[in-house]
Amino acid sequence: MGGIVLENVCKSFGEVSIIKDINLEIQDGEFVVFVGPSGCGKSTLLRMITGLEEVSSGRVFIKGQDMTDEKPSSRSLAMVFQSYALFPHISVRDNISFGLRISKAPKELIEEKVSYAAKTLGLEKLLDRKPRELSGGQQQRVAIGRAIVRDPTAFMFDEPLSNLDAALRVQMRVELIRLHDSLKTTMVYVTHDQVEAMTMANRIVVLQAGRIEQFDTPVELYDRPVNKFVAGFIGSPKMNFVSAQPAADNQIRLVDGTLISVPGIAHEDMTSNMTVGIRPEHLEYSHEQGDWCGTIVVEEQLGSDAFLIVEIPGVGSVTVRAVGERNYHGGETIYLTLPRHRCHVFDNHDNRISPNLSTQCTGTVTALHSA
Amino acid sequence: MTKSNNRLAVIAALFITLIFTAPIIWMVLAAFKNISDIYAIPPVWIPDFSYLDNFVLLLSENWQYLLNSVIVTLGATAVCMAFALPAAFGLVNYRFKGRNFLADWILSTRMMPPIAAAVPLFMVFNTAGMLDTIGSLIIVYAGFNLPFAIWVSMSFFRNIPKEIIEAARIEGCTWGQTFRTVALPLAKSGIATVSTFVFIFAWNELLLALFLTSREAKTFPVVISSFSTVTKTYWELISAATIIQILPPIIFTLLMQKHIVSGLTMGAVKN
Ligand SMILES: Nc1ncnc2c1ncn2[C@@H]1O[C@H](COP(=O)(O)OP(=O)(O)OP(=O)(O)O)[C@@H](O)[C@H]1O
Ligand SMILES: [Mg+2]
Repeated sequence: MGGIVLENVCKSFGEVSIIKDINLEIQDGEFVVFVGPSGCGKSTLLRMITGLEEVSSGRVFIKGQDMTDEKPSSRSLAMVFQSYALFPHISVRDNISFGLRISKAPKELIEEKVSYAAKTLGLEKLLDRKPRELSGGQQQRVAIGRAIVRDPTAFMFDEPLSNLDAALRVQMRVELIRLHDSLKTTMVYVTHDQVEAMTMANRIVVLQAGRIEQFDTPVELYDRPVNKFVAGFIGSPKMNFVSAQPAADNQIRLVDGTLISVPGIAHEDMTSNMTVGIRPEHLEYSHEQGDWCGTIVVEEQLGSDAFLIVEIPGVGSVTVRAVGERNYHGGETIYLTLPRHRCHVFDNHDNRISPNLSTQCTGTVTALHSA
Repeated sequence: MTKSNNRLAVIAALFITLIFTAPIIWMVLAAFKNISDIYAIPPVWIPDFSYLDNFVLLLSENWQYLLNSVIVTLGATAVCMAFALPAAFGLVNYRFKGRNFLADWILSTRMMPPIAAAVPLFMVFNTAGMLDTIGSLIIVYAGFNLPFAIWVSMSFFRNIPKEIIEAARIEGCTWGQTFRTVALPLAKSGIATVSTFVFIFAWNELLLALFLTSREAKTFPVVISSFSTVTKTYWELISAATIIQILPPIIFTLLMQKHIVSGLTMGAVKN
């Protein structure tokens, strides 16, 4: 038992500290996604698990074994790179069987595994080609094939789909989910595509500047982000933020003077200079009335959704996601309302003030979320 | 471009080519003449190409030195590459303290003119009892070419995407296996290019061979130089020997040409 455990791992390149004291426990068979802004250390952290990057301090355990000082070749991991990293001088067949041949597996076993992988990934007709004679999607499949034939302890993916076009990316995403369902092998996956993270992960690690901000299930990240960074990072379009101050009677005074009371937020948890966050899809809108009145500056019509950028005097610009909406256009006046139970409140250190809700209230919130 | 313009350009080009190749043409012709025809006035323009006495005389007396040259050249090229390729691969892919310093330091040894090492080398080999041996020449030629060979090979190993090397290591390769199964095949054109340069250097080297050999291990360039004496210059033998001397580099280069061309332009165009 035991998937991958990182204990107080740090990494510095020269003087620059990139990974700062990370503790992480990935369960056996789990699909974990690393997300975070560019340069936050996602790839570095992944490469530290593989051993391609040495840790500056801390320990790495794989399947309960301390692998900190082991070479990448002895960790029995497989990796799929963004650039595919196929061996250009050998055929697809030899690429897929490369690791097996290095470990001197018997010929029949190699043949069996290669033909199984080729069948699973639809590569049967391409086995004798060289990698450069394949399309990007086919090359990526070969890279995945090379990874699965070795029955690794865990798979490492570093943005494997980001070089593919949108349609292919969706298709490969589904295939990877299916692959995980059938193999039940631990997978660690780096991406900066929100949809990939939300749809594929059992749990998501949100990284920022070499630290873990939150490690939780996708829904938990969306519903209860621990701080303003996670709240802003998960979800698209981004959550709207409005600065606020505590007011009398457990109320919160938004920057434009609007008073709201968020259920479950106690006055003693409030600080000065708070931030109230509301997701674009949770804002209620109407032609007649609401908390705020503003002008639609831009209407981004996607057909399925309309994204309305609304300029509100005293608040600034706020994004509204109106599902299937056709009746609001640029230049018009719009009224917005903040559903109180949908509001996230962050203190002056940007940490979320968790609502201390009674059981009855929690029930309502859960029901609303699942709706 | 008009036709007459074109013709003018061709004539100019031919003229320039003639100037550059004149010595070689003269030598090729002289190799088939006897000594009096070489000095004849008016000149004998076209010799009798079936006249092979010069070659016969030359080879019957000096074939073992030609053989020395072949052994020394192939040996030096092989030894040099055997050390340069792993060294270059290591310098590119290993991370260790002082790596850049080491790489620069290797190159800096190239800045010393070979002649500066001639006397010390003479003394070293003299003490070791290795003067006038093929082995000493192989060591010296391989050694002198190592910095250059390492540096050029490094640039070819650097052109291999880092991920490909990493993929091999994750797939279970040791450094040695990564080098053999992935890096060497991908650096093929680089290896062809570097070994051609080393080959030509070793084949044509005269100065150190003059210093370090006397009878047994004499190489062919030394033989050629011995045809020009204080009292007499044997033009017919020099010419015949030069033709033999320039053939192997041409053949070797032609064999490697396909790889060299792609090697020298590698990295200029993507893929
Ligand atoms: N070999 C290295 N030497 C020095 N700095 C490095 C090295 N590798 C990475 N870094 C630095 O470490 C930081 C994290 O890099 P990393 O590649 O892990 O980011 P990332 O989260 O994967 O970003 P991206 O989303 O752009 O891929 C970056 O600031 C980068 O400049
Ligand atoms: Mg990265």
